Amino acid sequence: MSLLLMKEYFLLQQKMLHRKLLDVGIPLWAAYAIVPIAFVLLSYYLFFKTEFAAYIYVFTALSFVAELSEPKRNDFLKSMFGSSDYAIVRMLENLFLSFPFLLFLAYKGLFLFVLVLGLLAIFMALFNFNTNTNFTIPTPFGKKPFEFAVGFRKTFFVFPIAYFFTIMSIYAGNFNLGIFSMIFIALICLFYYSNPENKYYIWNFSTTPKMFLFEKIKICFAYFTLLSLPILVLLPIFFFENTLILFGFFFLCQIYLTTIILAKYAAYPYEINFLQGILLAISLMFPPTLIGIIPFFYTKSVKNLKPILND
Amino acid sequence: MISIENLSKEYGQKKALDAINITFEKGKVYGIVGENGAGKTTLFRCIAGIENYSGQIISDFDKLKDFLGLLPTEPFFFSKITGKEYIRLLANARRVKLGSIEAKNIFDLPLNQYAATYSTGMKKKLALTAILLQKNEVFILDEPFNGVDIQSNLLITELIKKLKTLQKTIIITSHIFATLSATCDEIFLLKAGKIDKNLARDEFSHLEATMKDITIGNRIEQLGLK
Repeated sequence: MSLLLMKEYFLLQQKMLHRKLLDVGIPLWAAYAIVPIAFVLLSYYLFFKTEFAAYIYVFTALSFVAELSEPKRNDFLKSMFGSSDYAIVRMLENLFLSFPFLLFLAYKGLFLFVLVLGLLAIFMALFNFNTNTNFTIPTPFGKKPFEFAVGFRKTFFVFPIAYFFTIMSIYAGNFNLGIFSMIFIALICLFYYSNPENKYYIWNFSTTPKMFLFEKIKICFAYFTLLSLPILVLLPIFFFENTLILFGFFFLCQIYLTTIILAKYAAYPYEINFLQGILLAISLMFPPTLIGIIPFFYTKSVKNLKPILND
Repeated sequence: MISIENLSKEYGQKKALDAINITFEKGKVYGIVGENGAGKTTLFRCIAGIENYSGQIISDFDKLKDFLGLLPTEPFFFSKITGKEYIRLLANARRVKLGSIEAKNIFDLPLNQYAATYSTGMKKKLALTAILLQKNEVFILDEPFNGVDIQSNLLITELIKKLKTLQKTIIITSHIFATLSATCDEIFLLKAGKIDKNLARDEFSHLEATMKDITIGNRIEQLGLK
């Protein structure tokens, strides 16, 4: 194995990571000092808040790992390294990325989760997620493209898992698990709005920034409702006394989805940056802060969209 | 009518466009030619309102962009959006109600396949179909013939002629002289961000020679090939 080439490759990865951090406005000293602390604090918070933290944790780690399985990237790596070296490089990459999660799970004594995450990370290094298949995954969201149509096709396999949690909650008489299944879907939908689209897709709209944002929020509201419908119908039948709580969480999810849409355009044309990330994290910990954060994101979004929509 | 007056655009120290003055009339086809980096795409982006600029762009429309169909050199597609959804997205953006998209699929594109899997020519044809169905009044077509097959080339040429009869304004760039001379009423030669020449239809026969003279000159001799 060419250790020198591997060393160069990982150093280049580190250089690229530094550039990305600087691009989103995080100084390197802060990244190395604050990010690990923030990671540990968020992990503690998650494990304090929910009994399903370990599942969310593994899922979050795997979604980061999945980002590295992009076929074009891996084709390039294959052409650079031999096939056996390629497998080692990819396994190392996946393990590096999962490392903080593995460490915290081990600290919590959840060794079964450590084993599962470790094995899945290694397993995922061995195959590409081919996005260029000719098979078109059907979606109910084709009428109003693009976020849900594109996002659903990328994450369609998680919805049966979410609905399985709903069924399990009914069997086990555990209403919280049912709520978790809905939050799980909302978390997936949040990712649909995480990346800025090409300017051309905004420029084409003949509307005002205000109406553009309203339309985006309206479509998101309708499509998230559609995805949550099985949960919204089933849970009140079996947990009638908790119907109000269920709809409370449903509207909270909708509010967070609205916030992420506004955060996305507040950062546009760049990705959601450090400032927006911090505000989103604060809003997750203290939901009442949304009263101030939503108007802030909205104002910034309108300002960013005005020149593109020639308003 | 679109009137461009003293349009200039700078990227830092680099002057991409330098005091451009052009008028585009209704029912006419205009060609913009020039070497790579001459400023063609920047000019289009300024007309579309995607770029900031100094100078003035005046049109008959309240908001030109809402009546403008822009075909980019390399159209961008999301990885998981089908051809049909792309057309619908662009139509929705202009509040245009489409009936059956299949019936309007004049390039016989596999509309239910992901657009990202299309070939270069198919992507161009899809993007062109989408802006045609937006029912625009002005069309900016950046390299519409790039990568398309000969049949589609003929079809696009006829489409441009049809748009002209419908009193639309069409502005195109192409590196293929035959397509420009077959479609354009006037051609502007852009060089280093300035309009170097404008040629009327009766001067097109000299266009290729003029272009050769201006852009090739004695560059090949400079190589000293033996």
